Amino acid sequence: MPANVIPFASVPWHGRTVLRHVDAHALLRYVSPVILVLMWQGACSTGMVSTRQVASPVQVIMTGWGLLRDGTLGANLGVSLARAATGLAIAVVLGVGFALISGLSRLGEDIVDAPLQILRTLPALAMVPLFILWFGIGEIPKIALVALGATFPIYLNLHKGIRSIDPRLLEMARTLGLSRMQTIRDVILPGALPDLLVGLRFAVGMSWLMLVVAEQVNAESGIGHMMMEAQDFLRTDIIMVGLVIYGLLGLVSDQVVRLMERVFLSWRPVHQRGQGA
Amino acid sequence: MNAAVMTNGTRDVSSPKNGVVAINGLTRRFGRGPAVLDRLDLTIAPGEFVALLGHSGSGKSTLLRTLAGLDPVHEGTVARPDSVSVVFQDGRLLPWKRVWENVVLGQAGADRRRRAIAMLEEVGLGHRVDAWPLTLSGGETQRAALARALVRRPVFLMLDEPFAALDALARLKMQRLVARLWARHGCAVLLVTHDVDEALMLADRAIVLDRGRIRTDITIALERPRHHADPGFIHLRGVLLDALGVHDD
Ligand SMILES: Nc1ncnc2c1ncn2[C@@H]1O[C@H](COP(=O)(O)OP(=O)(O)O)[C@@H](O)[C@H]1O
Ligand SMILES: [Mg+2]
Repeated sequence: MPANVIPFASVPWHGRTVLRHVDAHALLRYVSPVILVLMWQGACSTGMVSTRQVASPVQVIMTGWGLLRDGTLGANLGVSLARAATGLAIAVVLGVGFALISGLSRLGEDIVDAPLQILRTLPALAMVPLFILWFGIGEIPKIALVALGATFPIYLNLHKGIRSIDPRLLEMARTLGLSRMQTIRDVILPGALPDLLVGLRFAVGMSWLMLVVAEQVNAESGIGHMMMEAQDFLRTDIIMVGLVIYGLLGLVSDQVVRLMERVFLSWRPVHQRGQGA
Repeated sequence: MNAAVMTNGTRDVSSPKNGVVAINGLTRRFGRGPAVLDRLDLTIAPGEFVALLGHSGSGKSTLLRTLAGLDPVHEGTVARPDSVSVVFQDGRLLPWKRVWENVVLGQAGADRRRRAIAMLEEVGLGHRVDAWPLTLSGGETQRAALARALVRRPVFLMLDEPFAALDALARLKMQRLVARLWARHGCAVLLVTHDVDEALMLADRAIVLDRGRIRTDITIALERPRHHADPGFIHLRGVLLDALGVHDD
């Protein structure tokens, strides 16, 4: 037996299976996307698919690199990110604010909840014409649209979270003589945090959706604008770069929220994680 | 043999001033239903350990909740000290606070952590100070709940079937622990239990709730530590089972 080979039996049994499991799993997840991309490239290279209709992966990468080099991509991405972040920030403030008002007091619920429940049945995208009339074509209608779409998931989930706090814990807080403020801080808000994070995840998804529409309807900059311009020049490669960017943005932001869940909800046993939705 | 005195509904409650807890003529109903507690009288002396027995649905928890200030008093009077603590059957720790933070929840002071650790060590949970509550076993959860109750130095401690969900072994250990803690802290205790042996192991006095009133009130004058095989113990078990309508011959 060669000296550098670790005897099989000396590796702890569970460590071995875990390692092998993770490796195989990670690999398997990437196999089929990679095959699909290869098939796509093959179809383009052999002329089975017209590159006018669909740019090839290599073309998309080259175009993306070019757009990155000349600064077009960075500038548009920056504009889009700023819009999404601003809109989302407003949504968090509004959604959390409304949810606290209606979750923590009956009077607040009577005042705040009914109008919000009515508003939420409107498809936010149907507001686009109205927003353009109201706010013109600057940054405001785009940010407002993102904020509008993202507020509801945050409000609804946090409100539900506050209202569904285990009444036995509230009772316990009373027997311990906790003040109303202490109860809100130590019992209600932490208890509703999982729901808030679920709402945030939906809100982030909603933000990108709203942004795509807002930027494609009217804009002088942003990823959506870049794609619409490319449409005029039949540049499917640029359109697909835009799609890839949107995809990556969605992926990254979802990971960020998941990371927040891991950090803030570390009290949940491992087997309960990610069950929020 | 140890002396055992039994009085049946004749305990003197005419001087409630002597008690740390004094209930007079307490009646409680839910909606228009029958009286769950019916003109109930009860006095608990300072430092006294009282076990409260009764069938399921006889109103034990209702009585305890009233004493804890969770339920309103509509008819009758309830006098109780300000510093009371409650331990429920299900522990009720906040899952998002570490064990030690749960123990001193709502307590002020720079030495919170030190006090929490001292109390946790007292209940045998010194090794789980920084654990998340959802990782505790049932017995550990109840120990933490006990620590949280006692760290407030209550004059009166209420326990609502605190060991009912535990396995037999854990329950025995918890009973010993409660006996030790009571001896050390000297607070009055009201222990709700459906376990006659548990009542006889721990309490100075056992009361049985039946149709809204205390119809059996037994002084348990057995010496501690107590043993199941003690003739006095066996005698009292028979008496209590009788009062509960269970006859074992
Ligand atoms: N919140 C409530 N609403 C209506 N009835 C209740 C409520 N709480 C308890 N009861 C009734 O009061 C009776 C006594 O309940 P409880 O005090 O929990 O009994 P125990 O703890 O002795 O098992 C039961 O018949 C129960 O149905
Ligand atoms: Mg009960």
